[in-house]
Amino acid sequence: MRTFIDLFERVTLLLAWFAAWLFVASGLMLSYEVVARYFFIAPTKWAAELSQLCLIYGTLLSLCWLVQHRRHIQINAVTSQLNDKWQRLFGICTMAILIWFSSFVTYYGWAIFHDSFERGRTTGSLLDLPAWLAEMPVPLFFALVGIQAGIEIFKLVTGEPIPSGGYE
Amino acid sequence: MKLITILVVMFALLLASLPVAFSLGSLGLGMLLAEGFSPLMAPQAILSTLDGFILLAVPLFLLMSNVLLYGGCGKDLYSAVQAWVGHWPGGLAIATIVSCGIFAAISGVSVATAATIGVVAIPEMISRGYNKNFVYGLLAAGGTLGILIPPSLPMIVYGFITEESVISLFLAGIGPGIFLIGLFIIYSIIYAHLFGGYTPTEKASWEDRLKHSIKVAPTIALAALVLGGIYSGVFTPTEAAAIGFALSIILTVFIMRSLSFENFKRSIFEAMVITAAILIIIAGAKIFGKAITLYRIPQDISQLIQTYVDSKTVFIIVVCIVLIAMGLVFETLSMVLIMVPVLLPAAMGMGIDPIWFGIFMVVMVECALITPPVGLNLYVIQSVANVKLGEVAKGVLPFLLLMLFTVAVMYVWPDLVLYIPFKL
Repeated sequence: MRTFIDLFERVTLLLAWFAAWLFVASGLMLSYEVVARYFFIAPTKWAAELSQLCLIYGTLLSLCWLVQHRRHIQINAVTSQLNDKWQRLFGICTMAILIWFSSFVTYYGWAIFHDSFERGRTTGSLLDLPAWLAEMPVPLFFALVGIQAGIEIFKLVTGEPIPSGGYE
Repeated sequence: MKLITILVVMFALLLASLPVAFSLGSLGLGMLLAEGFSPLMAPQAILSTLDGFILLAVPLFLLMSNVLLYGGCGKDLYSAVQAWVGHWPGGLAIATIVSCGIFAAISGVSVATAATIGVVAIPEMISRGYNKNFVYGLLAAGGTLGILIPPSLPMIVYGFITEESVISLFLAGIGPGIFLIGLFIIYSIIYAHLFGGYTPTEKASWEDRLKHSIKVAPTIALAALVLGGIYSGVFTPTEAAAIGFALSIILTVFIMRSLSFENFKRSIFEAMVITAAILIIIAGAKIFGKAITLYRIPQDISQLIQTYVDSKTVFIIVVCIVLIAMGLVFETLSMVLIMVPVLLPAAMGMGIDPIWFGIFMVVMVECALITPPVGLNLYVIQSVANVKLGEVAKGVLPFLLLMLFTVAVMYVWPDLVLYIPFKL
């Protein structure tokens, strides 16, 4: 189990870094778009749409890492006053809700993706990309969030330290 | 009864430390399932949130702010302003507010403004003997200027959902922004006179002032370019953020040579963390927003207001109370997304200008940024200063009152908002 957790968390860290660089890429693409428009009088047809994909993938890719490190915005004012046992109990309950929520989003998100994939739906934009490209990350990365929440429950039960997290 | 049950469950989830995004999302999903609505709406809401081009401005403004932060621009900006006003009574506090105001003109995000200036100003002010609660309150409140002084993400979102001109909203935010800066400065001077307790800084020489001003000039030029580009229509707010990000890299890496690759990596990783945390809250709020709309809760509230409130003054007071109550638990953009469709029709029915109402909403969500338990700026300052949330919350009350006073002045004198966009 420990090997699986280590491997999974290494993957989530890689995904988080990839997400960070995707945001950088979106910034550089849009900057290029402005330069191309005003200096080369040749606006691109790909910059806006690919930047949008970067936003979708970047946000969803990083969700797992945020769950693992408790970096989602959350209110600790009450639970931080409790002893370790109760904090773990609350932690298990909240992670269970997260699994429930992620399962629904994964299942129904998959239905949306699968429908677009089957019908060959496209975005109808200049690039006319397949619509499923933007829809696929929702079920995919929420499934990973569900797995991460399961791992967090395992860690809480086996007495591993609870990350302090915090918002920065 | 339904409304009370929903509120109780929401508070229970939030206080149990379930992340805000998943609290709203799970509650919204639960509400959809309870009344037999399709759960497909949950992933659809997430997709439609992330598919908004305007929200791309969030990571880009954050990237720009973080690059400038890690590149030491916050320190330079603070030092330059301090050189000019630091020797006045409460000079460091004034320098902090003015720096927040200037950085607000670059970032458009309150948390980045609070963090960037907070990192420099908090240790400096505390080492000079300023009262800690005052310092934390000042920084948390000063950071909120980030969303009032353009560019501003909540204004962009408001303009998008109401189809009002974003440029007019930006121009309308300038008057109240400067007014609020003035109020914060006056309060700081009075506070310094009454409570003292700090060590005054020495007056900087003209040579020092010039040296610091030259150092900070590129940052000011960057702010001017970002704002000028948006106002002149050269680029969209999202493109302005992208250009600002690219130029901030050039500024810190090639001109100032103050940003190492390690710090660049840190800056982009932190920007990614905050972006994901904010955007997923907006997605969660959208699921919750869909659910309460299907339950007709906003419509019922709107109708209730229109039935029982026939005076504009009472309407604004009621809306203020509702927004303050909502601000206790809601994130700023979520508040705008949920409440504007409910309140704007009623407001326009009473003859309230939609641009004025937009700025009013922004000042009210500024209040939400510094009211616990979900006041993002409180968490930012808590994190930057490494102190308890309660200590930060104690210091914000006077600033909260000043913001509400600004709302009152805006109501009595609407030209504070409308003069620049429509009469100048």
